Amino acid sequence: MNRLTCPFCGPRELREFEFHKTLPEPGSSPYARVYERVARLDESTEHWQHVLGCRAWLRVRRNPSTDAVLETTLLGGGAT
Amino acid sequence: MSGNLRRGTRLRGETLRFRFDGRDYTGQVGDTAASALLANGVRAMGRSVKYRRLRGVLAAGPEEPNALFTVGTDPCVIPNVYAPQLELTDGLVARSQNRWPSLRYDVASLLQAGGGFFGAGFYYKTFIWPSWHAWEAPIRALAGLGTAPRDANLAPVPHEHSSCDVLVAGGGAAGLAAALAAARGGARVVLVEREPVCGGELEFESGAIDGQAPLEWVRATLAELDRLGARILTATTLVAGNGGEYVAHFEPGGLPGCSTMYKIRPKQIVLALGAVERPIAFVNNDLPGVMLIGAAERFLARYGVRIGKTLVLFANHDRAYAAATRLVAAGMRVRAVVDTRPADAVGAAAASRRAALVAGGTECLAEHAVLAARGGREVRGATIAPLATPSATRNFGCDALLVSGGWGPSVHAGTQEGGTKRYDASLGAFVATEQPAGRANAGGANGILELGAVLADGTAAGRNAARVAGRGSDASAAPTGAGDPAPRLVPFWRSPADRAGEKRQFIDYQNDTTVADLRATLEEGFIDVEHVKRYTALGFGTDQGRIGGLLGAAILAELRGEPLAEVGTSRLRPPYHSVAMRSIAGLRVDENLRITRRTPLYDWHLAHGGVLEPMDLWMRPRYYTQNGPAAYEAGIVEARRVREVGGIVDGSTLGKIEVAGPDAAAFLDTLYLTKASTIKVGRSKYMVNLREDGMVLDDGIVLRLAEDRFLATTSSGHGAHMLSHFEHYRDTEWSGRGVTVTDVTEAWAVIVVAGPTSRTALNAVLGASWAESIDALTHMAFARGLHGGQDLAVLRASFSGELAFELHCRPAIAVGLWESLVAAGLQPYGLEALDILRVEKGYLVSSELNGQTTPADLGMDVMIKLGNPCIGRDLLDRPAFREATRPRLIGVRAVDGRGRFYGGAQLTAADAPNRPCGYVTSSVYSPALGEWVGLALVSRLHAEGAVLTARDPLRIGDCAVRLTSIVHYDASGGRMKS
Ligand SMILES: [Zn+2]
Repeated sequence: MNRLTCPFCGPRELREFEFHKTLPEPGSSPYARVYERVARLDESTEHWQHVLGCRAWLRVRRNPSTDAVLETTLLGGGAT
Repeated sequence: MSGNLRRGTRLRGETLRFRFDGRDYTGQVGDTAASALLANGVRAMGRSVKYRRLRGVLAAGPEEPNALFTVGTDPCVIPNVYAPQLELTDGLVARSQNRWPSLRYDVASLLQAGGGFFGAGFYYKTFIWPSWHAWEAPIRALAGLGTAPRDANLAPVPHEHSSCDVLVAGGGAAGLAAALAAARGGARVVLVEREPVCGGELEFESGAIDGQAPLEWVRATLAELDRLGARILTATTLVAGNGGEYVAHFEPGGLPGCSTMYKIRPKQIVLALGAVERPIAFVNNDLPGVMLIGAAERFLARYGVRIGKTLVLFANHDRAYAAATRLVAAGMRVRAVVDTRPADAVGAAAASRRAALVAGGTECLAEHAVLAARGGREVRGATIAPLATPSATRNFGCDALLVSGGWGPSVHAGTQEGGTKRYDASLGAFVATEQPAGRANAGGANGILELGAVLADGTAAGRNAARVAGRGSDASAAPTGAGDPAPRLVPFWRSPADRAGEKRQFIDYQNDTTVADLRATLEEGFIDVEHVKRYTALGFGTDQGRIGGLLGAAILAELRGEPLAEVGTSRLRPPYHSVAMRSIAGLRVDENLRITRRTPLYDWHLAHGGVLEPMDLWMRPRYYTQNGPAAYEAGIVEARRVREVGGIVDGSTLGKIEVAGPDAAAFLDTLYLTKASTIKVGRSKYMVNLREDGMVLDDGIVLRLAEDRFLATTSSGHGAHMLSHFEHYRDTEWSGRGVTVTDVTEAWAVIVVAGPTSRTALNAVLGASWAESIDALTHMAFARGLHGGQDLAVLRASFSGELAFELHCRPAIAVGLWESLVAAGLQPYGLEALDILRVEKGYLVSSELNGQTTPADLGMDVMIKLGNPCIGRDLLDRPAFREATRPRLIGVRAVDGRGRFYGGAQLTAADAPNRPCGYVTSSVYSPALGEWVGLALVSRLHAEGAVLTARDPLRIGDCAVRLTSIVHYDASGGRMKS
């Protein structure tokens, strides 16, 4: 199974995470944000949540053709 | 042939009894079902799926396409067990598949005798009138491999997770050399081997390694690996790989039962899975008695099975002469070796063996081919001809016909994570080339088939893997050896045949794909190898094309007149070998499938007749058994009692999210269709959330606890999702703002008190200190305080249409409070009654929130008009949402006041009886009204008063219905305000 690296919890199995969406191109119209998302083969920026872990929301950049995870960063910074 | 006289490397001598297709046989400890049956002279072991042709064993490993058995006795049976891998146990009961009533006499096989074969696409083209569905049942009764068991009664399969430096897949010469080199370098090594013992082709190959007999070297190597701490897992097949984790399936005895799934995360993997021998297509090449040369050698070496008395070998490489020499040495007569190559293509070592064979009476024919196998139920001879003059045929008598068209390196490799392959003309096969980081092939998978080179390649791969994994490099001498000569293969795919013969040149045995099918498929316009696969089912079977995939691609290339390198082979997919679903499920079965969430009142419900049902992860009472024998009857009793007296229901499963901070109100304004910021402290509001696309996501009540603090409730089934939804917006659009989101679902139990006596009962239970504030509560207002020293909030809100209160209390006092309310005369009711009460009042149940309804569809126009710019608001103006036929929520009742209709019934108008204009979303029998009432989503073209037909042909038939207001009961809302 693939893994994602949570900034808080370290490398964890994918089953602990939940995919939310592929991010639309910046500046898209509301219609395009929902209905005109482009599935790119080379790179995809997505939102995932470590839902069965610390519940952090993550921005994940990955290559859908190779399944390689290019970067995982924390969204927001959590509650303060 | 008596089983007890046989000698084989795997046999242990002790006699076992077993039963196959109703007859008793004996075999030995160490036998497989296939070897024991062959030793008993049984050739036919199954019928093919489509043409029902009798079939025998073709291969000796998991690529076996024909001999799949059903093991056990009804109802505890396991279908599709590979006979060559099924270890014999005393009392084993097995039967052949795809035949009725018996293997010898099969009714469906008469179909082929009558009208000829159904070619590729036959089903697609023939059974389209009047529709496929009319034919589906009888065809499916004849189709498929085996029959699914009713009750396999298998133990749960543990999943073991581990890591290591180097994982080696395959315990043949290459794999053992790789494991040895890696372990000597200090790496933590795990080796998986699909057979119960290691050795691979060393089990029968002639030769020597480091001056030892091959099997002695295997024993010595395993002993050294053991000393070095390597873990050897036999009877374990690498079935898949994903994301750096490899899945290996331990299935001892070749039978699901005490399996284990190993999930191994190595730093490096060496795939040494060898190469799979392939047949050559000739007429009737599926007759029992036709077998791969390597399989015959394995059955001989492992189990002492002599596959026949008189053999004919048919091949296109030098290994055939080594094999023939060993078969002769074992006492079999080799009538002929038929070689497709010119005489001078044979290498020196093979040529001397050939001379010895000829001297011993074997006819060795160059540039010849076997055109056909002869015989009715099994091989009785072979028709042979020179390739230059195929009409000059000769018939050789034989009782086994052994064939080998070369080897396909296992680039399948148990993993499909990329990596490339290239065509190697000297092998007539594709070999692995570039592989992803962390993975290397060794030996046969690289197209290396000579023992000396295999050992060197394995050693190099093992050394490199240990080094890359950060371990030392092994300096000791690598094993050296020599075995059978290089194959010197010249690709040869199919013998000459006329068009009628091509219908019996089998390529994929499991799917009965023939050369004629490939030709027909090309004529239909399917050219690409992937299309051909899907049209002919070539490579669809449990062998995943290991027998016929390359052969089919090569013949396709020939028919297309293009090089095989360009045609390529179809993409290989996991799993590498069939895996029982039970093994995939692991321990996550039955009650362990999911976690169960329990409300504080869970035990009370169970102890008091509650019949629980799942809602998301929660268990909630559907009804209480003292009120009726089933949900329908009990629900009516419970609902009627709520309206007449009152009742209590457990609402603890509601999702509860506390939102706090200076920006809490503004945050919630973006999450809901209407504003939260206008709610006054101490009051609440019914609100709905939209998805980004404007569809209604969820509904619930939002309470304002303080200026900067809210409690948002969600529907029970959506609690977890709504929490994520809130957290997502907190961390994205609202990142850095003053808002916190806290899940308090389990911090509060909720008891809903509903009915005309609810206020009286509540006052009796909560006492004088609460009486004033409860009496003062207006609709949607709440009061907070203490009860029994614990926090309690009382909200006046109703989803039943009756005067009702929600008690939000701490779990510690939930049972006490609940029991006091029961003592005060309120009986519990369940979800069935809750649904009745809601539908009577036109409140949304859950099937209306199906992700396809907008707020306007659900009659929430007033909320939209407020114009709050929330999530999803922009897309509410899409033209599609304003179409005249867009469904909207409406009430529905039987025209005659007596008929019934169920949720799911399609609604049609008289002028379009075959085109539904809507459907019933929820329906209940209303005890308050004495008739069935429902909610429906119906095209806006049909207004209140319209008469439609509710169609439900599979359950209760048609019912004439009238569209009504969604509020069926107490339209003025007087009861709620009392
Ligand atoms: Zn985490």
